Amino acid sequence: MSDAETLQSGRRGHGRAAKRAARMAHAAATVPFITRQIPIYEVLNEEGLSLIEQNAETVLEEVGIDFKGDPEALAIWREAGADVREERVHIPRGLCRRIIREHAPATYTQHARNPARSVVMGGKHTVFAPAYGPPFVHDLDRGRRYGTIEDFRNFVKLTYATPWLHHSGGTVCEPVDLPVNKRHLDMVYAHMRYSDKPFMGSVTAPERAADTVAMAEILFGADWIDPATGKPRTVVTSLINANSPLTWDATMLGALKVYARANQANLLTPFILAGAMAPVTVAGSTTLTLAEAMAGVAFTQLVAPSAPVILGSFASSMSMKSGAPTFGTPEPAMVMYAMAALARRLNVPFRAGGAFTASKIPDAQAAYESALTMLPACLAGTNFILHTAGWLEGGLAMGYEKFVMDADQAGMLQTMLNGIDLSENGQAMDAIREVGPGKHFLGCGHTQANFESAFHGSAIADNNSFEQWDAEGRLDQAQRANAQWKRMLQDYEPPPIDPATDDALLDFMARRKAATPDSNV
Amino acid sequence: MADDDLDLNSLNDDDLVSQMHDDLYDGLKEEIEQAVNILLARGWTPYDVLTQALVEGMRIVGEDFRDGILFVPEVLLSANAMKAGMAILRPLLAETGAPKVGKMIIGTVKGDIHDIGKNLVAMMMEGAGFEVINLGINNAVDNFLKAIDEHQPDIIGMSALLTTTMPYMKVVIDTLKEKGIRSDFIVLVGGAPLNEAFANAIGADAYCRDAAVAVETAKRLMADRQGSVQARAQA
Repeated sequence: MSDAETLQSGRRGHGRAAKRAARMAHAAATVPFITRQIPIYEVLNEEGLSLIEQNAETVLEEVGIDFKGDPEALAIWREAGADVREERVHIPRGLCRRIIREHAPATYTQHARNPARSVVMGGKHTVFAPAYGPPFVHDLDRGRRYGTIEDFRNFVKLTYATPWLHHSGGTVCEPVDLPVNKRHLDMVYAHMRYSDKPFMGSVTAPERAADTVAMAEILFGADWIDPATGKPRTVVTSLINANSPLTWDATMLGALKVYARANQANLLTPFILAGAMAPVTVAGSTTLTLAEAMAGVAFTQLVAPSAPVILGSFASSMSMKSGAPTFGTPEPAMVMYAMAALARRLNVPFRAGGAFTASKIPDAQAAYESALTMLPACLAGTNFILHTAGWLEGGLAMGYEKFVMDADQAGMLQTMLNGIDLSENGQAMDAIREVGPGKHFLGCGHTQANFESAFHGSAIADNNSFEQWDAEGRLDQAQRANAQWKRMLQDYEPPPIDPATDDALLDFMARRKAATPDSNV
Repeated sequence: MADDDLDLNSLNDDDLVSQMHDDLYDGLKEEIEQAVNILLARGWTPYDVLTQALVEGMRIVGEDFRDGILFVPEVLLSANAMKAGMAILRPLLAETGAPKVGKMIIGTVKGDIHDIGKNLVAMMMEGAGFEVINLGINNAVDNFLKAIDEHQPDIIGMSALLTTTMPYMKVVIDTLKEKGIRSDFIVLVGGAPLNEAFANAIGADAYCRDAAVAVETAKRLMADRQGSVQARAQA
C-alpha cells in the first residue's frame, strides 16, 4: 500500500488491498526447519536393537566390506586397525562404533547463503528436501521426457517457492541435455543463484566435488571460514551412496574425501532394494544397512575427525515375481523405524524416507505409497528427509504435479510434528466459556483471533460442494496441481545476489568449461 | 499506520463511501452505523445509502470470500456490520417506499436439530441486506405457517442435515400448496444430503449448496419477482 492509499483508507482496519497483501505475506511465512514436539515411534526394544547391532558387527568383522579402487582408503583402514585383505576390509567388532561415538558430531548446522534459511541437521530437527536423481521429468501437458537444465532450474525455483521444503536438494533432475563432465557446474550454480536455501553438491567425480567446494567458497566469500574454528563453515551436504551389498566404490569415496577434508557434510546411504542388495527380511536388510552405514560414517571420521556426517538408509522392497522395486510397502517402513533408532544409539543425524512410489503418474497409487513412506519417516524421528517432493516411478522421473502434491503433504506433516499447543490460547477455555451450549464458535473472540493460522490449509485439495466442483470443471488433484506449479513458476522471483559474487561464479564456470572439451563419459 | 481518531465527518461523500467499503470489509459495526447516520444527515436517500455504500461494500466482501481471500469468521463480522447498518435503514426504506431487498424466514425442519449451517446462511442473507427471521431448529409445518402469518416473508428457507429429515421439506411445501399459497413465496432449500434433483422433486424453487449461493439465488429470484434493490443497483 502506498502512503497516499494509507492516508485515504487507513485507520483500524485497512480494507481489501491491505488484506490481500497480508494474506499473501502470510502464505509465504515459514520456519527454516522443523523442531519436533511429538514422541518418536519405536518398533524394536533394547533386546531387538542390540541383536541387530551385534549382527552388524559380525558382518563387518567376519564377512568384511569392500572399499574398491581407492588404495588410500585401504591404508586409512589398515592404520585404524582393520584387517585389510586386498580390497576387503574386516573391521574389528566395536571399532566403527567407537570411532563414530568419539568423533562424529551429533548435530551440525548447514549454512544457507540466506542465514535465515540455515538448517540444523540432527537432534529433534527434521529437514525436508526435494527428490534427487531422476533422469526423466513428467507433467500432465508433455508427459514423460528426459530432464533438461531448464527442468532442473524449474524444480530449484519451485523448491524455493514452497514454504514446506527447507532444503534445495541436489540433483532435482538430471540435465541430460548438458555434457556429463560439465553439467555439475550449471546444477550447483542453479541452486546458488535461483534459491537461497541450503543445497547438495556434486558427487559424480572427486574433481566435480572440488568444483562444488570452490564455488561454495566464492558464494560465501568472507563468511566461508568460521573464525571460531578456523575451518570452512559447512555449506554443502552431499549424497554418498553405498554400492550395496557391502561395497563402497572409488567414485563415492573420492567425493567423500574432498568434502570431509573441506569440513562439508557427507550423507552416507546404503541403497537397498531388499531381495537384490540385501536379504528379503526386515532384520536382515536392517543389519546390512547398519553395517554399511557404520563403515561409511566411521570412514569419514578417519579422513577428517568431527567432519559433519549423516547416517542414511534407503530401503525398498522388491517384487519377487518381476524383480521390480516396490515402494510404500510395510517392510521398508519397518527398516526406517529400526534404522532411526539405531542411528540415535550412534548419536548421529539420520536420513531416510521420501514420497516414494513406483507409479508413473500422480495417481492414487502414487499418493498412497508416498503417504505410507512419509508418515513413518516422520514418526521415526528422521532428521533429513530427501525425496520429500516430486518422486515418481521408483525415482526414474521427477513429476511437476507430484512435486506440488508432495509439498502440500509435507506442510501437513510439519504441522503434525509441531505437536499440540497447550498454551492458554491453545486450551481455548475462553472460547468454550464464551459460546456455551447450542451456539457456534465461528464468531467468538478466540476464533476471530486464531482462525487464520488455526488449520493447515491445503493449496490443492478440493473441499467444495459437488456442484461447485462440477461447475469448476471436475478437476482432479493432479489437474489442480498442474495449475499450481504453473502459477508458482509464473510468480517466481529470484532471491537477490551480490552481482560481483554472481560474476565471480559465472567466471569460474566459464574457465572450468573452457579447460576441457565436452565429454559424456 | 492505524489512525483510530479518523473523523468520518471530515470526509467528503466519495471518501466516506469508500471508507464504508473498507469498514464493511473489516467488519467494523459501529463505524458503519455512524457512517450511515452521517450520510442520512447529509440528505442522502436511504435507498442510495443502501445501494452505493452497503450493498456495494458487501459485493466486494462476497467476491473476496469466493476467491479465498476472506475467511468465514471475517465474513461474519462484515455481515454483522451490514446488519447494523440495515437496522437503521430498514424503517426508513419502508417509509420512502423504496424497493425492498426482501424478507426471509428460515428454519431447520422437524426432527432435525442441526443449527450452524442454517445460521450461517441466515447471517450471509442479513449481510446482503435481507431481513431474516430465524426460526431455529426442529420446526414442524405449523411453525412455518405461523411465521408466514406473522412476518409476511418473501422467501421461505428450509434446512436439513439428515436424509431422514429432509423429506419433511416436502411436507411443508405440500401444505403450502394445499392452502393455495405456495406461489406467494420463493422456497429455498439446503443442507449436505440435498441436491438439485431433490429440490426439484419436492417442488422447491432452488437448491442452494452453500451460503454464498443462497444469497445469489435469493437475489436473482427476488429480481425475477419484482424490481428489487439489487436488480436496480446493478442496472
